[in-house]
Amino acid sequence: MNLDARQVGQWIERRLAAPAAAASVSGPRPLTIGILAALIACAGGAPLVSSAYILQLATDLLTFAALAYSWNVISGCTGYLSFGQVSFFGIGAYATSILVMHTAVPWYVDAVIGAVIGGVSAALLGTIMLRLRGIMFALGMLGLARILMVVASNWNFIGGAAGLTLPAQLTPIAVYVAMWVAALVAFGLNYFLLRSQWGLSVIGVRDEEVAAAAVGVPTSWVKTVAFILSALAPAAVGGLVAWNRSFLDPPSAFDPTLDLQVIVFALFGGIGTVWGPALGTLILVIVGEQFWAYLPELQLALYGVLVIAVVLAFPGGIVGVANRFGWLRRRPVAAPAVFPRVSRPSQPAPPGDDTVIEVRDLTVRFGGLVALNGVSLAVRRGEMVSIIGANGAGKTTLFNAVTGFVKPSEGGVYFQGKLVSDIPSHRRAHQGIARTFQIPRLMESLTVWENTLLAARHGKRRHAAVEQAAWALHMVKLDSLWLEPPGRLSPGQQRRLEMARALALDPTVILLDEVMAGMTRDEQDEIRAVLRHFRDLGVAAVAGVEHIISAIADISDRMIVLDRGRKIAEGKPEAVLRDPAVIESYLGKVS
Amino acid sequence: MIVLQLVVNGVLLGGTYILLAQGLNLVFGVMGIVNLAHGSIITFVGVFTYWFVTQTNLSPLLLMPIVFVLALGLGGALQRLLLEPLAKLGNRRELLSLMVTFGLSYVIVETAINCFGSQYVSLPNLQATWTVAGLAINEALVVAGVLGAVISGCLHVWLHYTASGKALLATSQNSTGAVTCGIDVRRMRGISFAIGSALAAIAGVLLILILPLSAPTADTLTILAFVIVALGGLGDYKGAVLAGLLLGLVQSGVGYYLGGDVEVVVPYLLLIAFMVLRPQGLGQAAR
Repeated sequence: MNLDARQVGQWIERRLAAPAAAASVSGPRPLTIGILAALIACAGGAPLVSSAYILQLATDLLTFAALAYSWNVISGCTGYLSFGQVSFFGIGAYATSILVMHTAVPWYVDAVIGAVIGGVSAALLGTIMLRLRGIMFALGMLGLARILMVVASNWNFIGGAAGLTLPAQLTPIAVYVAMWVAALVAFGLNYFLLRSQWGLSVIGVRDEEVAAAAVGVPTSWVKTVAFILSALAPAAVGGLVAWNRSFLDPPSAFDPTLDLQVIVFALFGGIGTVWGPALGTLILVIVGEQFWAYLPELQLALYGVLVIAVVLAFPGGIVGVANRFGWLRRRPVAAPAVFPRVSRPSQPAPPGDDTVIEVRDLTVRFGGLVALNGVSLAVRRGEMVSIIGANGAGKTTLFNAVTGFVKPSEGGVYFQGKLVSDIPSHRRAHQGIARTFQIPRLMESLTVWENTLLAARHGKRRHAAVEQAAWALHMVKLDSLWLEPPGRLSPGQQRRLEMARALALDPTVILLDEVMAGMTRDEQDEIRAVLRHFRDLGVAAVAGVEHIISAIADISDRMIVLDRGRKIAEGKPEAVLRDPAVIESYLGKVS
Repeated sequence: MIVLQLVVNGVLLGGTYILLAQGLNLVFGVMGIVNLAHGSIITFVGVFTYWFVTQTNLSPLLLMPIVFVLALGLGGALQRLLLEPLAKLGNRRELLSLMVTFGLSYVIVETAINCFGSQYVSLPNLQATWTVAGLAINEALVVAGVLGAVISGCLHVWLHYTASGKALLATSQNSTGAVTCGIDVRRMRGISFAIGSALAAIAGVLLILILPLSAPTADTLTILAFVIVALGGLGDYKGAVLAGLLLGLVQSGVGYYLGGDVEVVVPYLLLIAFMVLRPQGLGQAAR
C-alpha cells in the first residue's frame, strides 16, 4: 500500500464533492433488494439453528430495532421528540397480558390486538399530547409514562403494584419470529414515511409546520397518523416481552430507561434516516453485549456519555458520517432520473372576471392592539392587486386572516362567494388560496423538487403530481436547481421556490407577502416576469409590498394602501401614489 | 381549621418548589433550553450531603457554600464543553441540547448510584414541629419556604439592580439585541448555567433536610421543576413563584382529600392540562 495522506485527502474531497444528482434514481434497485433479502434470510435463519444464547441476543436486537424504528417515526420523521414512547410499550404489555389471561385466542392474535389497542390509545392520547410542541411534548410524554405507571399500580384488575404472573407458553423461536415481524413492520413504516409522497407531508410538518399547512397538508391529521404508527410496534413488542418473561409489573412496563436505550440506538445510527436505527441497534447491542458483561453497573452512565459524545461529535449519527462520503444518501422522493419534460400546456384562463376573494369588514385584534380595522376589499379573477403599507400597517395580518392562520375578530373572508373564515388553512389551500411568506419558510431537509411536489400532491395521482410539480418549477425557472436543498438558493430563488410551491397547488389566488423584499434588481425582474404570467393562467395575485413600490406599481391593476390597520386608498396605481393621504402615511405630514 | 392547615402546608411546600425551580428557570430564560439534568444535580448533591454528614458529623449548612462554589465552577465548565458548541446549530439546537442534558442526567444519576447507592436517605436535622395558634408548622418546610423566598428575592434584586444581572435579563429577552449592546452573550449563557447549577446544588442540600431523596428520583424532580417553570411561563421567574405556590397548595389539598397516589401524579396532570389550556403560562395572566 503506497497511499499517502494527500491521495486519501483527494479521494475524500472527491467523495464530498459527489453531486447530489448522483442520487436521483427513483426507487431502490432490484439487485440491492435481492442482496438485502438474502442477507436478512441468512441472518434471520442462523439464530434458529445455533445456540440459545445467540437466539436470545438476536431477539433482543430485533426488539430494540422495532422500538428504535418506532421512536424514529414520531421523533425522527415527524420531529416530535418523545421521552415517553414506553407508554405504548406498557399499554400493549398490559392489554396483551389481560387477553392472554382471560381469553383463549392464539398468541399471534393477542399480539396483533395488543398493537391495535396501542394504536387506538395513541389516537386518543394524541388529541391531547400533539397540541404540545417541542420541549412541552417531550416532557409531556415523560409525564404521561409516569401517570400510566401510577394508574397501573393502583388498578387491581391489572394486578396493581404487585404485578401479573402470566402463563408461560411461548417458545423462544415464536418470540424470535414475532420480533422479526415487529421489526420489519416498524422498518416498513419508516421507509414509507421517508420515501413516499405521503411521507413528504410528515417531513414538511417537521421542518415547517406552518408552511406545510399553507400548502395543503392537514397537519393535525398527519401528526396523529404518525403518532399512531409510532405506537403499533411498541405495543406488540411490549406484549411479547411481558409474555416471554411471564411477569409484568408497572415499573417493568413503563421503564424510563427503555426510552433512553432506544434513543441512544436511534441517535447513534442517525435520527430520521431509513438505516440509522438498524445500524445503531446492531452495533450497540452487539458491542454492548460484550462490554456490559464486565461493567454491568456502568451501562446507563456510559449510554449517557455516548449520547453526549454522538450529539457533539457527529449529530447525524453513523448515517450522517456515511453521507459525507456519498453513502446512504437520502434519495429525493418521486424524482425521475432527469428533470421531467414539461408537457402541461399553459391552461387557458377561465373566462369571466368574477370576484374570487372578498374580505368584508375584517377586524383583527391581538389583545388591545387592533391590527386590522374594518378592512373590505375584493379581488377579481386574474387580477394583480398590490397592497402597500409601512411596517405594521396590517398586510401580514390580512394575509394570515385570509389564509386561516389568524382568526378574524369581526367580519368575514369569502372565497368564490362562500364564507371560508371558519375552515382550516390546509382546506383553504385545497380550494385554491395559496400564499408565500414574509420570510421564506421552506422545508430545509427536502430538495427544491420535493418542496414543490409536496404542494402538488393534493387530490392527484402520483404521475399527475410529478407533472404538476415540474410545471410549477419550470414556471419560475428553477428547473436546473431542482435537486438542491433550499438552503443553497439565493434569497430571490427562495422566493421563487415559494411561488412554485404556491403554483403547484393549482390556485385561483396567490397571496404574496413582501414579494420583493431584500432582492437585487435582477431578482426583482425575475419575480416580475413570473407575476406577469399569472394573469395568463387566470391566477389572481395579491402582493404585499413595503418599500419597493416602483417595481410593483407598473404591473399592478389596482393598488390598495393600508395604514395602521385601515384601508386609506384604493385604485389605479398612478392615482393612488399621488393621493395626499398615501404620501402622508409614508412620509409624514408635510406642513 | 383543616383547610387553614392545608393552606399553610401548601404555601410552605410551594416555597420548597420555588427553590427547586428557579435554577431551571434561569437556564431556560437565558439559554432557551431545558436542562434535563437539573433534577440529577439536586439528587446528586442531596445524597452526597447525606454521605458527607454521616461521615464527618459536620453541619449540612456548612456544606452549602462549598457545593455552591463547586457547582458554579462545574456548571460553567459543562456549559462551555457540552452546550456552547450547539449554540450555532440554529433550529436543531433545541432538540440536540435536550439530548445532551438527557444524557448528562443519566451520567450524574448513575455516578451517584455507584458512589452512594440508590436507597432513599434523609437527614433528620430539621424535623421539629411548632404549634402556632393551633396550626402545626413543620420546621423543615419553614426553612425551605423562607429560603425559596430569599433566593427568589436575591434573583430579583440581582436581575434588576446590578449591571451583570441586567445584562443577563437583556440576553434572556433578546439575545441578538443584547449582542448589539455589547453584551457578551456567550459569557451570559455560561453564567446562567453556572448559577442554575449552583441553585440546584443548594436545593439539593436543603431538600435532603426536608424529604427523603434517592439518586433515581432525579427525573421526578426535573419534571416537578419543569412543571413550575412551564406553569409560570417559561423563563418568567415571578410567574414561577406563583406557580410554585399554586402547585404546593393543589398538592397539599389533593394529598389530603384524594390520597398520596393521586398527589404524586398531580404535577404531571397539571403540566399536561396547563400546557394544553394556557401555553403562555400563569405570569401573563397575572399582569
